[in-house]
Amino acid sequence: MSWNAYVDDHLMAPFATGDTLTAAGIIGIDDQAMWAYSSKFPEMKPQEVKDIINAFEDSGPLAEKGLFLGGVKYLVVQGDPGVVIRGKKTQGGVTIKKTNMCLIIGLYDDPVTGGQCNSVVEKIGDYLCEQGF
Amino acid sequence: MYGGDEVSAIVVDLGSHSCKAGYAGEDAPKAVFPSVVGSIGPSSLADGVKAEGEAEELKRTLYVGTQALGYRRDHMEIVPAVKDGLVTDWEIVDKIWDHAFRERLLIDPKEHPMLLAEPSLNTQQHREKTVELMFEKYRPPALFLAKNSVLTSFATGRATSLVVDCGGGSTTVAAVHDGYVLQKAIITSPIGGEVLTDCLLKTLESTGVEILPRFSFKRKEIRPGEFELVKLEFPNTTESYYRYMQRQIAADIKESVCRVADSNFDESAYANIPTTSYELPDGKVIEVGSDRFKIPELLFNPALIQAIPGMDKSFNEFASVKGIPAMVIQSINKCDLDIRRELFSSILLAGGTAAMQQLKERLEKELMEEAPQAARVKVLASGNGIERRFSVWIGGSILASLGSFQQMWFSKAEYEEHGPSYVQRKCP
Repeated sequence: MSWNAYVDDHLMAPFATGDTLTAAGIIGIDDQAMWAYSSKFPEMKPQEVKDIINAFEDSGPLAEKGLFLGGVKYLVVQGDPGVVIRGKKTQGGVTIKKTNMCLIIGLYDDPVTGGQCNSVVEKIGDYLCEQGF
Repeated sequence: MYGGDEVSAIVVDLGSHSCKAGYAGEDAPKAVFPSVVGSIGPSSLADGVKAEGEAEELKRTLYVGTQALGYRRDHMEIVPAVKDGLVTDWEIVDKIWDHAFRERLLIDPKEHPMLLAEPSLNTQQHREKTVELMFEKYRPPALFLAKNSVLTSFATGRATSLVVDCGGGSTTVAAVHDGYVLQKAIITSPIGGEVLTDCLLKTLESTGVEILPRFSFKRKEIRPGEFELVKLEFPNTTESYYRYMQRQIAADIKESVCRVADSNFDESAYANIPTTSYELPDGKVIEVGSDRFKIPELLFNPALIQAIPGMDKSFNEFASVKGIPAMVIQSINKCDLDIRRELFSSILLAGGTAAMQQLKERLEKELMEEAPQAARVKVLASGNGIERRFSVWIGGSILASLGSFQQMWFSKAEYEEHGPSYVQRKCP
């Protein structure tokens, strides 16, 4: 299955309420390149990607400085150490799940909730982990 | 997904001092009772492995609720459900929930979604165990775990604030941003209402005042209007029960008589303060002088604990503990620069100990001195002491009644499909 299909058909699929995530993307960890992304996914700077990858090892610096995605700042809230980072801004937030080879990023805005974003991003992440990615 | 029905949700807040339970949408919990239980039998089932056939012998009888605890029984030990802010004994939690649902609220848990308040520093393991216990035993249609600080924030109508929760077992300072707790900015201190009560009890005992628990005496009328005190002996009463009943009385003294000093407590300044009198249940009247101010001062200056007779060994545990103003500054400094100003101007006070007189004014004064110049410091506390005690529960009541919350429930179907670890995603 192509990476774009993961984004378009699964990450961006509508929830039971009819809304979708605002944007989603998959980034490789080793090459730090975008494997797939939806139309509204922000342009990410290389330093931002590096900071996120490092944050899965040591969450301190990100929590203090803030999580940046394409220049937009998110505050780090409770995640699962080494596996999931969750961020929140005033309206909406982001969930980032790390698999063996890539990061899956889902951005959401009101009325979609953090719980809904978590369920879809983490489910895809679990599936990819099983597949070896 | 559970979409919400006409049936109202049940909100349960199990704290270290008391458990509050009631219907969502109401303005106060219907059931409030202590979160300790009386236990007769082997003291702990957690040690060792039960062999087959021994299960019956190791069972202990648990007594929950104010009435059951108030009745003195031989060999009854007092066992807490929550220690250091986290649940230690799940069997006790089970019994407490059972008491709340079946005896106090008189509901069938299968019909009502449950909103449970959890400590802001709850571990992953505890959350999963809570969810598992609730769904397996009580089988509600849906469940949600919300953090205490977030609920307090909602109770005052704010999405972003710094919550100072002065509870029975501990004091927690947490920054809430847009309905989510910033994990790195949570500071806790073991100094809570129970420590203050203990200190007051020890101080009174050192001055020779003997506090007799209610069950240990009766008053006989020897002449009209005059009573004689008769002490009753119950040799089989456990030490923990005796102390527990003494603490009840000391807590009442603390709530009626103690006040926070206007500025840093100085032994000499308060030496001449007029004393307040308090009548103990056995008829004796005691005078409380500077101790009225010395005890609550512990919240601001924990090092004072060494001055309290009998508490000096606790000083080592409390050596690194900071006072509330220092905790507030530390928490805000761990937050992002952008929201610090907003946090300073919305500091919320919650919890039973926060109902102490003059606490708000003193905290505001101390913070204005310590905070950076440009920040405007505002401490908000409900004028009503009852609302401060129940602000977590009230926030839960508000949250569970919101239309926009109904899609956020963690339903039983989702639990059966994904298991208890799914709670980490659904209740972030």
